[in-house]
Amino acid sequence: MDIIKVEHLCYDYVATDEEGKIIEKNTALSDVNLTVPEGQFLAVLGHNGCGKSTLAKHFNAILTPTEGKVFVDGIDTSDEDRLFDIRQTVGMVFQNPDNQLVATIVEEDVAFAPENLGVPPKEIRERVDDALKQVDMYEFREHAPHQLSGGQKQRIAIAGIIAMRPRCIVMDEPTAMLDPKGRREVMKTIKHLNRDQGITVVLITHYMEEAAQADRVVVMDKGKVLMDDVPRKIFARAKELRAVGLDVPQVTELCVMLEENGVDISREIIFEDECAKAISQLPLKSRTAVIPEKKHAEEKENSDIIAKLENLTYKYSIGTPFEKTAVNNVDLSIAKGEFVGIIGHTGSGKSTLIQHFNGLIKPTEGTVYVDGKNIWGKDVNIRDIRFKVGIVFQYSEHQLFEETVAKDIAYGPRNMGLSEEEIKKRVNAAAESMGITHLLEKSPFELSGGQQRRCALAGVLAMEPDVLILDEPAAGLDPKGRDKILGLIKQYHVQSGRTILLVSHSMEDIVRFATKVLVMNKGSVFCYDETDKVFERSSELTDIGLDVPQITRLSRKMKELGIDIGEDIYTTQRAAERLLTLIKGQNK
Amino acid sequence: MIKDITIGQYFPGNSVIHKMDSRVKLVLDILYLVILFTAQKFTGLLIGILFIVFCYMLSRIKFIMILKSIKPILPLMIFTAILNLLFLKGETPLFSWWIIEIYPEGIRTSAFMLLRIIALIVGMSLLTYTTSPIMLTDAIERLLNPLKKIRFPVHELSMMMTIALRFIPTLVEETDKIMSAQKARGAELDNGNIFRRAKALIPILIPLFVSAFKRANELATAMECRCYHGGEGRTRMRQLHTAPRDYVAIAVMFALLGGVIVLNFIPVLP
Repeated sequence: MDIIKVEHLCYDYVATDEEGKIIEKNTALSDVNLTVPEGQFLAVLGHNGCGKSTLAKHFNAILTPTEGKVFVDGIDTSDEDRLFDIRQTVGMVFQNPDNQLVATIVEEDVAFAPENLGVPPKEIRERVDDALKQVDMYEFREHAPHQLSGGQKQRIAIAGIIAMRPRCIVMDEPTAMLDPKGRREVMKTIKHLNRDQGITVVLITHYMEEAAQADRVVVMDKGKVLMDDVPRKIFARAKELRAVGLDVPQVTELCVMLEENGVDISREIIFEDECAKAISQLPLKSRTAVIPEKKHAEEKENSDIIAKLENLTYKYSIGTPFEKTAVNNVDLSIAKGEFVGIIGHTGSGKSTLIQHFNGLIKPTEGTVYVDGKNIWGKDVNIRDIRFKVGIVFQYSEHQLFEETVAKDIAYGPRNMGLSEEEIKKRVNAAAESMGITHLLEKSPFELSGGQQRRCALAGVLAMEPDVLILDEPAAGLDPKGRDKILGLIKQYHVQSGRTILLVSHSMEDIVRFATKVLVMNKGSVFCYDETDKVFERSSELTDIGLDVPQITRLSRKMKELGIDIGEDIYTTQRAAERLLTLIKGQNK
Repeated sequence: MIKDITIGQYFPGNSVIHKMDSRVKLVLDILYLVILFTAQKFTGLLIGILFIVFCYMLSRIKFIMILKSIKPILPLMIFTAILNLLFLKGETPLFSWWIIEIYPEGIRTSAFMLLRIIALIVGMSLLTYTTSPIMLTDAIERLLNPLKKIRFPVHELSMMMTIALRFIPTLVEETDKIMSAQKARGAELDNGNIFRRAKALIPILIPLFVSAFKRANELATAMECRCYHGGEGRTRMRQLHTAPRDYVAIAVMFALLGGVIVLNFIPVLP
């Protein structure tokens, strides 16, 4: 039985003027055919703007086709009389958990849908309790949503849908705004609902590792279905995926690399376990790789320290029952020109820490030095420090406000009191380094998400700060957008030679560029060292609850099977090189 | 941290007062106000105050909270007292200096007004201390229900109140983030004259509005997905039930009203 059936679906976004004349037409979907059998776990991939969200909105009649038909459990979605039947059968969960919760108490929120449907009070109670247990949030039933973490809120949003007793749940990037822990929680819930409760799941995602867990993957591009197959067959087509702005799991990437180097290994591998097993069955000439002696960057004796924290402690809400030490006795020196990655899970104090560098937060104890000066000293104007240390916050596009991109970028430089000429120069330079020169005269609100992000970044770059701090610059973007913005940041670092601090949950992002890594845990510095050295302690990182790259997990699995390619594996490139020496026996 | 702010001033608890039906509580609170305005004598007022203190004891709300609730209206109280003191004329002034004449009637009235305002605020606070915002919204919705007949949008009103309560913490947090972001770009929010300050708010208000509209849009879609279609045919999970304690409370309150009225007619009492 097919729960969802899509036939020749076309959809146009049409903009009309006041007289109803069509002024703009954008085709979002063209001739899509798709069926989803009951009980399936389907993942939909595609870069932003490929039409996948538009498609999802057709599954429960939020949108109805311009042409073609969509059937939900045999009901035509354009049949308005059956609207509530359709929406009860196919529920939908969105990206931002905050914007889906209606009530001020968790259980009231979960009750919202059954209340709308006129279910008798006693049954609502049963459904609510059951739904909360399904998502493992029963003990939080009397909490207020704003007291919960992102992952918990998203699970409440899912419970709110389950309370309708739907047969299918469509989720539009439910994990995009969550930290790794929240992502794991939500994925666990999704799998439980699918495997144990038999609910059909359609998951739209940008995370390849999530898609790999599905029964089937559909890849969309330009409003069409490009590929439709089981995950391992899809990811084996790595090159085609990259061409449409997508990615593959790291282990698949590794197998493809090995295969291209003449190793007899299948490309259709998506999990660490099977990959480790496949490698262990290869005819290896040796089982232990010789790890090349590393040239450790010589400790520069007199390397200039641009920013320094001394015995820094910060406490929230002092003197109230909520008192909490966010940062605990941190000592840290950042050398000029360094690219430092900062990791740590939510609540580890990393966001609080970075706001000390430009004086947005005043330390409870300890001293902050920028360029050798105590920033809270008598002769220092804190505003000057903010121009020296630029911070780009998470979801920085939320700070845009001007009529045009150019004016928005000019906001910082104008606050610095620079001449018009200088401002113009800086705006152009910043726009160029972020690749948005062609957008300068547009309104920032017309841009795509990725462009807005780059515009906000340019706004801070234009102040030409000595230290640039970025908090999760790639959060919520698709793989292409992520690569683009991280690539531009790297390029800026190389060209300007300025100091960069990059905060991220994603270890993959950090290890690509950072020369040094700072790991924060429970408000303290867990370690601060060169990237290689930090990864030599990768098992300790897992112990404190951090996510290490898939390829690192693979190297550990292989070690269990007796193949040692070293502890410092965090890129596929390095893993492939080491493995090739084992296979081809080129040990020196 | 901004996340820890409490909305309204609800203190969760398990006392008799907490457990009372919120509709009854709301109506009785209004009745209490009526009692305060009916009382014409200090004795009556004092009984009213003793009663509310007794209720605080029952609810196990700390007495310090009574003082906290009075604090914000202190200026108003002082202002009223001074006005009454200065402008209420009696027969023989107790004290006069320059154009200021103070009569015993003035002193009596200011003291009386002061006590009345205190009792009023303390009584109102007890309601918000012991009833969660959602219960209050519920009570208002249900009490206003008869007005639906004259097409008064009762359900819509309570939905709006709920959503507003839900999004206050979210938007406060958001404002905080935007302010940090603009400060990091050199915004000066607490310097300069009033015009400069107003202008400095633009970079904060515009992103806030943009985001609020975006949120509203997304919330509306999410609500549609959950089959929201107004108040028609809607049921509620939480049912309000009156228990014996509610009837006892009603009886006590009417006894209090009767008592105060009787006291008004006993001439020997102050």
